[in-house]
Amino acid sequence: MTSHTLSSKRTNLVIHAVLIAISAVMIIPFLWMILTSVKTPMEATQIPVKFFPSILKWNSYSEAFKQSSFQYYYFNTAFSAFMKTLFPIIFSSMAAYAFARIQFPGRSICFFLIISVMMVPNPVFYTPQYMMMNKLGLVNTVTALWIASLISPFATFLLRQFFLGISKELEEAAILDGCNPFQIFWHIMLPLVKSALVAIVIIQLLWSWNELQWPLIINSSPEKLTLSAGLATLVSKFGTNYPVLMAGAIMAVIPMIFLFFIFQRRFIEGVAFSAHKG
Amino acid sequence: MNEGVMAMNTKSRYAWAYVMIAPTLIGTLLFWSWPAVYSIYLGFLKSENFGLVNHWVGTQNYEKLFKDQEFWRNLRNTLFYMVLFVPLTLVCSTVLAVLLNAKIRGRSTYRVIYFLPQVTMPAAAAMVWVVLFAQDYGLVNYALGTHVSWLSDPRFAMYSLVIVGVWAAIGFNMLLILAGLQGIPRTLYEAAEIDGAVGFNKFRYITLPLLTPTLFFTTIVLMIGATQVFDSIYMLIGKTNVALPAVRSLVYAYYQNAFVYYDQNYGAAIVNILLLVNLVLTGVQFLFQKKWVVYD
Repeated sequence: MTSHTLSSKRTNLVIHAVLIAISAVMIIPFLWMILTSVKTPMEATQIPVKFFPSILKWNSYSEAFKQSSFQYYYFNTAFSAFMKTLFPIIFSSMAAYAFARIQFPGRSICFFLIISVMMVPNPVFYTPQYMMMNKLGLVNTVTALWIASLISPFATFLLRQFFLGISKELEEAAILDGCNPFQIFWHIMLPLVKSALVAIVIIQLLWSWNELQWPLIINSSPEKLTLSAGLATLVSKFGTNYPVLMAGAIMAVIPMIFLFFIFQRRFIEGVAFSAHKG
Repeated sequence: MNEGVMAMNTKSRYAWAYVMIAPTLIGTLLFWSWPAVYSIYLGFLKSENFGLVNHWVGTQNYEKLFKDQEFWRNLRNTLFYMVLFVPLTLVCSTVLAVLLNAKIRGRSTYRVIYFLPQVTMPAAAAMVWVVLFAQDYGLVNYALGTHVSWLSDPRFAMYSLVIVGVWAAIGFNMLLILAGLQGIPRTLYEAAEIDGAVGFNKFRYITLPLLTPTLFFTTIVLMIGATQVFDSIYMLIGKTNVALPAVRSLVYAYYQNAFVYYDQNYGAAIVNILLLVNLVLTGVQFLFQKKWVVYD
């Protein structure tokens, strides 16, 4: 019995050792980002590597902010993330409810048309979407960042799965009371899928906050860029001025990491859950 | 309920359904389905004057593509990235998930730490890896006691990309696998323990077979993601890097052709090949998923 507990204690120790070692690998890039951002450019490129700066220098942050257009990046990123979250939530839940509960003619074909685009890799859309934006005069505008993403086939698919899992009894009473489908959807069904809605909000926020390729393609002037596309221009401007680059990177990731720490559980569960249902 | 009311109800219910799906359906057709179809069409055209004049050229773009050594190299790079990235991510994530599935202290803390790269903007994460991988003053070379040019030596650049990719992907995939593990009934392990099974045998004969559907799903999702690698190449390697030809993916080649050289048609041809690859992967997933549902 004693030997058994002893060996299980040893196993536990080994497990922790492995987990901590990998945690270090995960965290070191973040620590290095922070440490580098408060070094002088000299210190950041010193040989041999200097771990800690002799004094904390914060002016790389103001330099990154001033030398590029961070106020625009923040606004454009946050505003498109807001649009790409709010509207898909409204439109997708409405559509998902109809697909799950109403046997209207043409239901299967409409549903298939919507979810079939999920199989297409994003770059396939970019050239035609660019041409479309060009026709609409939207190239190099903030609108172009979000307009195509006001709807979300993925969220529609996910929420439909959810509505399918809810028992029909609740609705039947409401139908007898003379509620129309929208009222049933809004007052009865929507509150029941709150956890799914939260998951979708998180995913849409993350995706749009972190997206790089589309903003890079569609917009070019600094005041129309998002944070990730802005970081790309920061690299070409500052080359090996590592403290400024790291300060910029930190400013870009802080909002999401902050949200993540506040809503850890919801983030982790939301993302895992949506991947499973999808 | 009388039948007349029911019928009227049904009609108005249909009307409501169409209203409720309208925004998503119209938005999808306009902004996503139509561009996908148009991309296929573009692959058969030759455009001049920024798309003002279009000629139908049949399969010419594809013929050019298949004769282009660079295309084959890009395809090879993409597949090579996938072949390294997918198994590595899968193994690391599975090991971590199994370890975290044990009753140990600090589980949720570890989960948060491993998930951190997932909430980090890939562009920003790539920037810090540029600093870490720097040849003369980078932490990686310092720690390993080497003097390797990780990002601009064509022999190493691909491996560096894979390392960054795995680093970013572990947390998310570990979560998926952990969810799969938690679906395996504890009673199975208890029964096996009575029969004398220990440690690795339990993993080999209970965990692994029951985890197969999860692992399969994860593999396909990872493969689809790997075929579209772009952000890390753009941010870590960059357009002037001598190592670019050794790592350039299909999506990067598409980006260059369509938006740097402005050859929309050649770009479309490249990305349509990618579409084909992805459809095959999705098809495989669909087929096998069905099979598993039956056998469950």
